[in-house]
Amino acid sequence: MAASLTGLLKPWTPRVLLVRWSRYNPYYLEPEPRKEVYHIPETELTPEQKEERELKSVRPIKAATNSVTSSVFNDPVLSKFVNMMMKDGDKIIAKGIITQTLENMKRKQVEKYHKAPEGKKAEIECNPYAIFHQALENCKPVIGLASIQKGGKFYQVPIPLTDNRRRFLAMKWMITECRDNKHRRTLMYEKLSQELLAAFSKEGNVVKRKHELHKMAESNRAYAHYRWW
Amino acid sequence: MLLLAGPCFIFVAKPTEQHLGQYYTVPPSHFHTVFPHGLPPRYQQQVKTFNEGCVMVRQPALELISHLKRADYSKPTLRYLLYGVKGSGKTMSLCHTVHYCSTQGWLVLHIPDAHLWVKNCKELLPSSYHASRFDQPIQASNWLRNFRTTNEHFLSKIKLRQRYVWTKRESTEEGRPLGELVDMGVSRVKSSSDVVGAVLKELRLQAGGTEGGFRLAVAVDGVNGLWGRTTLKKEDKSPVAPEELTLVHNLRKMINNDWCGGAVIATLSQTGSLYAPSSAYLPQELLGEEGFDSMDPFVPVPVSLYSEKEFESCYLYYLDRHWLQHPHSQTEEGKKELIFLSNRNPSVLERLCAFL
Repeated sequence: MAASLTGLLKPWTPRVLLVRWSRYNPYYLEPEPRKEVYHIPETELTPEQKEERELKSVRPIKAATNSVTSSVFNDPVLSKFVNMMMKDGDKIIAKGIITQTLENMKRKQVEKYHKAPEGKKAEIECNPYAIFHQALENCKPVIGLASIQKGGKFYQVPIPLTDNRRRFLAMKWMITECRDNKHRRTLMYEKLSQELLAAFSKEGNVVKRKHELHKMAESNRAYAHYRWW
Repeated sequence: MLLLAGPCFIFVAKPTEQHLGQYYTVPPSHFHTVFPHGLPPRYQQQVKTFNEGCVMVRQPALELISHLKRADYSKPTLRYLLYGVKGSGKTMSLCHTVHYCSTQGWLVLHIPDAHLWVKNCKELLPSSYHASRFDQPIQASNWLRNFRTTNEHFLSKIKLRQRYVWTKRESTEEGRPLGELVDMGVSRVKSSSDVVGAVLKELRLQAGGTEGGFRLAVAVDGVNGLWGRTTLKKEDKSPVAPEELTLVHNLRKMINNDWCGGAVIATLSQTGSLYAPSSAYLPQELLGEEGFDSMDPFVPVPVSLYSEKEFESCYLYYLDRHWLQHPHSQTEEGKKELIFLSNRNPSVLERLCAFL
């Protein structure tokens, strides 16, 4: 039930101790990484928040994972992208590639900005985070296809996609496109920055793939009634 | 009235003590002549991105410049050594001083990184001049090419005082201009290391001269590479000591203070150094016994991390150049976080702001 110390007093403890288990007792509460919550003074707390604080002082709390930060620069979409790029659990390399990509995009855009005449300066977007989010939006498919079996044959049926699925597809296409279809000697951050800048202006192979999916769904419109949910 | 005090960045024409913490712009025409080599690679990228080259005026550089102004050039050369933790701005202070020297009309001998001469050498030829020494043709010819770009106007004025024989058929006579020697070194790659030695010797002899005298500034980055160990190997796999390399041997003679009419400005560097622990930054640790004894009467110039005023100035400069793009980085919270993450270290701050 409650966290007990008697289990820890053994004649032998293993050298590597797991700090955070993925299956916690439901008694444990989630950690709160945001700084603003702790800055609210005593007087301004609502009754629910006061209750929550009292509860947190008696209950044990789960250990926070490595990916949660209280930093203002934390971006959940970017963290998801980093996790999808990661191979063999090597987050340092994946995070390094993403930071190099952001830097590369920013450098290209800022260079263009400084060389552009006065009138055109306002149109050039220099923020790499804005470019990343907009490019991802431009790559997200609106409608997807599912393989449904009817009468012995499998049909590609157009179905609505959830937000998470759309985001996953956009990121997956971006990563596979950069890994497979580019020149062998270019580094990943260069390939990614080129592809993201192209997607930002709605050109490039990933956006083309999204359009092809939409066209397939449109052409298979007749089978839409095979969907039963 | 211009308010020069306070943490702000202003583009100044001639930096003085009042302009501490502020940026001065190097004119674009100077970049290719004064700095064909020698600037840190990340700074070169920054110059390309911002379309201009701005250097912050900091205390170590100003101290060096004031020493150079007040030194007596009829006495033996003074040696200045810039030292500090990794990323604190030693190379940039050196480049600031080099730019000052070239605007004052000195002859600048800038060796961008002495560590490049003691590691990763593809071709190591036995020297023709001295039996037990080794030549490095590629490094020597590259350096001569850059030296030629930096000091074009001096090359025709300085005349050689001695006859140099390269092979049975080739020799350079007395009285020929230095430019001819340098051109020969660039074209005949095999004898380029000996040409470098000859150039250094000539400049050493003529620097303090009364007729047509010029002042000579020897700027060496990563000077601790000259006295350590090398990673180069001879054909029988035995290690090469730095003394056995012609380039290093001649450069050591240059750094000795037995000539007058100029100054030697050196920087320590742990980044490219061989067999030195990464936490070492003091002269005693990086130069070793031998190096410290050779450099011994030197003027140490410590380079510290950014002060609060300098940090503010750098932050405002990045904001002005549209480099800090993340919306949170432009708030107070973001600024406090940047101070915390970088500990006011210039290079760490630059790398953080690169992706923010």
